[in-house]
Amino acid sequence: MFRALLPARCLLPPRRPPATAPPRRGLRGRDPTRDGGLPLGRRVAAVAAAGAAAGAGWLYLRQEKERRRRARRREELRALALGQGDFALLDQEGRPRRKADFLGRWVLLYFGFTHCPDVCPEELEKLCRAVALLEREPGLPPVQPLFITVDPERDDVAAVGRYVRDFHPRLLGLTGSPEEVRAAGRAYRVYASAGPKDEDGDYVVDHTVLIYLLGPDGLFLDYYGRSKTDAQIAQSVRRHMETYEPVQ
Amino acid sequence: MEERKACWGARDEFWQCLDRHADDASKCEKLRLSFESRCPQQWVKHFDKRRDFLKYKKKLETEGYHPPEADGKS
Repeated sequence: MFRALLPARCLLPPRRPPATAPPRRGLRGRDPTRDGGLPLGRRVAAVAAAGAAAGAGWLYLRQEKERRRRARRREELRALALGQGDFALLDQEGRPRRKADFLGRWVLLYFGFTHCPDVCPEELEKLCRAVALLEREPGLPPVQPLFITVDPERDDVAAVGRYVRDFHPRLLGLTGSPEEVRAAGRAYRVYASAGPKDEDGDYVVDHTVLIYLLGPDGLFLDYYGRSKTDAQIAQSVRRHMETYEPVQ
Repeated sequence: MEERKACWGARDEFWQCLDRHADDASKCEKLRLSFESRCPQQWVKHFDKRRDFLKYKKKLETEGYHPPEADGKS
């Protein structure tokens, strides 16, 4: 009965036989299986190679960015040109020492004073540990540890001698007249201010707590604060030695 | 060097005593006197200030920073 409701067959569009599936085409419009285009394994390899190349490229760019950042920092520090001028001080044996005596050598320099409660001994120990770490590496030029007092009134040659003995056999301690010491401090923009004297005449000297790295040309290359460890300082010095270019 | 080490040792003993007695200085009188005798007065003052600073720093790290109460809440 329901069949009568259907439109007459002659009015229906002719039923087309299902078309044969169009041949599978590869990306280039060719039938991959017929012409021998890239099989799956090769395609995976191609993608993997592209991925590895991209990864290597990214790593290289990141390294390059780090290198450029360090070079920029070196340029900025060099432009500051700290440590110009000469100084004429005495070492712990009473021998006169000028800045020119240290040319050609790498120097790690710390300004402090012998009556310092804790900061100066800790920083000097750290400085000397960094020097010891660098000494253990073959092929690196030696680093001269240097201490300059900011308290010339109390730290005479004998006092400096007694002090530096405790830290490292090669640690040189310099002192001199108040004018010379102040001039040396000024050249490195070291802040130093003696505090009020108590009834024993004792006082502490507030001062910049930094370890300075000087290159063989005597100019300031880098600085390290309280938070840098001896290993970090040694690594930074090593890197500076690798990239060092003398100023023309 | 020896004086410095002796002073630092006395300071450490005194501070350890304070840690044990929750900063009750009256319980550590003897160590305090030993500390004061082994260290120059400037260093005693410096280390006392340092102790206060270290305790404040620890308080910040454990309890967090509480800004003083303002009259009007922002």
